[in-house]
Amino acid sequence: MITVALAKGRLAEESSDLLVKCGIPAEVIKSDTRKLVLASPDDEFHFFLVKPSDVPTYVEYGIADMGIVGKDTLLESGADLYEMLDLKYEACKLCVAGFPDRKNSVTNTHLRVATKYVNTAKNLYAARGEDIEIIPLHGSIELAPVTGLADVIFDIVQTGSTLKANGLAVLEEIYDISARLVVNKVSLKTKAKEILPIIAKMRENI
Amino acid sequence: MAYYKLPLGVQDLLPEECYNLNLMKAKLQSVFEGAGYSFVSTAILDYYDTYSDISNRIAQEKMFKLTDSDGKLLVLRPDMTLSLARMATKHHEKHSKLCYFSNIWNAMGAGGLSSREVLQAGVECFGRTGAFADAQLIALAVESLLSLGVKNFIIDLGHVGFFKGLLEEYGFDDEQVEAIRLAVNAKDIIGASEVVKGTPAEEAVLALPTLFGGVEVLDRAQALTASKSSLDALCHLRKVYELLASFGYEKYISIDLGTVKSLSYYSGIVFTGLVRSIGAPVLSGGRYDNLARDFASDFSAVGFAIGLKRILLVLERQNDLLPLPKADVTVIVEEGAEREGYALYQKLRAQGKSVDLKSGEREEGAYYVRKGENV
Repeated sequence: MITVALAKGRLAEESSDLLVKCGIPAEVIKSDTRKLVLASPDDEFHFFLVKPSDVPTYVEYGIADMGIVGKDTLLESGADLYEMLDLKYEACKLCVAGFPDRKNSVTNTHLRVATKYVNTAKNLYAARGEDIEIIPLHGSIELAPVTGLADVIFDIVQTGSTLKANGLAVLEEIYDISARLVVNKVSLKTKAKEILPIIAKMRENI
Repeated sequence: MAYYKLPLGVQDLLPEECYNLNLMKAKLQSVFEGAGYSFVSTAILDYYDTYSDISNRIAQEKMFKLTDSDGKLLVLRPDMTLSLARMATKHHEKHSKLCYFSNIWNAMGAGGLSSREVLQAGVECFGRTGAFADAQLIALAVESLLSLGVKNFIIDLGHVGFFKGLLEEYGFDDEQVEAIRLAVNAKDIIGASEVVKGTPAEEAVLALPTLFGGVEVLDRAQALTASKSSLDALCHLRKVYELLASFGYEKYISIDLGTVKSLSYYSGIVFTGLVRSIGAPVLSGGRYDNLARDFASDFSAVGFAIGLKRILLVLERQNDLLPLPKADVTVIVEEGAEREGYALYQKLRAQGKSVDLKSGEREEGAYYVRKGENV
C-alpha cells in the first residue's frame, strides 16, 4: 500500500486529475466526505488531505510515502525528502514586492520584510549578507507596506492584481514556484517497485 | 514552569523499553565481539575546539555547550566517529577494531525521529583498506540488523568518489560543489541544473538522482563519465558488491550513487540501512580515510553506527518487543520472619530464579514464610 499526502484545496483537485490520468484510482480525493484517510476502492492507496505546510512533515516522517505540494511550502519547511518531479501546475513566483519609489529610512536602515515565508526570507537575505527585520504575517501580506508596517513583502505572486490595486509592484522575482512531487527518502528505496512506475507515469503526463 | 518536566527532544527510558534495549545490546555485543571488535567508551565532555577547529567542523548550533571552570568551552560529545578518531590518534595501532554503545547529543534535534540525545551502537575499523575490508564491514552491518530481528531492510550502497570525480575536472568552486551535492542528495534535478546548466558536467550530474537501484546502476553510471576517479570508484563498488554477493548477502544490497554524504568527512564507500516500516535510516556508515588528519594523525578508517531508538521503533511496529518478565517466584514473609524469608530468597537465587521478596498477606501462587520456619 502507498500513502499519499496532498495539500488541501485546488492543488489536491488538480493532483487528483493527474493521478487518475496516471491510472491511479484517486477519484476519492474529490469526494465530499469528512473522512481523514481516503482509501482507493482497491485499498492500494491511502490519501491524506492536509494543510499544505503539513505535507512535507507527513512525508519526511514516512507516514506518507509521497506527497504533492507547492515549492514555496518546501522551501519554507526545509524538510529532508526527495523532490522528484516538477509537476508544473499551480505555477507562480515568490517575489519581493513593494512601492517602486520607496525611500530608504534614515533611522531604521534594516529593511523590514513582511512575509509568511519566514525561514525562506531569512535564508535569502542571509545569503546576500543583508541585515533585515522580518515581520511574520499570516494573510493579506500586501497590507503591510500600504499601512507602513513593513517596507516590502516577500510573497507569492500569481497575477499581481492585488499588488497593482494597492499601488505596489514586483521589485524582484526570486523563485519559480509550482507543484512538486516529493517522496520519503526511505520509501523510495524500500517501496521502489510500487513508487518508481508511478513517478515514470507522472513524468509522461506532466 | 514545572521542573519535573523534561526539556525538548529528550526522553526517559521506562522499564519495558530498557529491557528490550538491553536484549538488543546483548545481541549486538555478541555480533561485534564475535567479529573481533573491542568495546570502548569515550569521554562525554570534550573541548569545543576539538569539533570546531577541524575541517569536518560540526555546526556550532548543533553542539550543546558548557563553560569549564577555566573559561574554556566544552561540548557534550556530538559525534562518535570524530570522538573515536580523536582517541585513536594515540592508540590506533594497538587497537584497530573498536565498537561502542554510546550517546551523542545534537542540540538541533526536535523530537520525533530526530531526538537531541541519540543512542548509537557502532563499530570503527582503523588501518584497513580495500574492497575486502569494506565488504566485511557492510557484511557486519547486515549481520547486526539480522541479529536484531529487523525485517525488510536494505543496505543502500554508494561511493562519494563517483560524485567527486564527476566535478573535479570542471573547476567548480567548493560552494558550487556543495550546492550541487545538496540538490543531488534531495534528488532535486531542478536545483542541480541551476548550477550545472551548460557545463560539460550537466548530463552526468543531472543523471545522478536517477542512479539508484540494483547493480545495473553501475553499468549505467559507467557510460556517463570518462573521469578516472569516478571510474575507479565504480570499479571499487563493483568489487565490494561482488564480494557481498559471494557472502550470500546480495539480497540486502541496493546501489545509490546519488546519495552523496558530506565530502569533507567521507572519502570512499558510504552506506545507509533502510527499513520499510520507518521513514528514516536506521544505520549509517562509510569510509573516512582523511578524518584522522584533523587530529594530526594519519590512518584509514571505516565504520557504521546503528540508531538503537529507531530499531526499537521498528521492532515495536513489527510487534516484536517482548513484555517485561515477571519474577519467577514471589516470596511473602510474615511479620518477624524476615530472616527466614531472606534465607529462602538466597536459596532460590542460588538456583538461578528471580525472586520478588516482600512482607504482607498470603497470596495465591506465592511462598508464604512463617517465623521459625525451616526453609
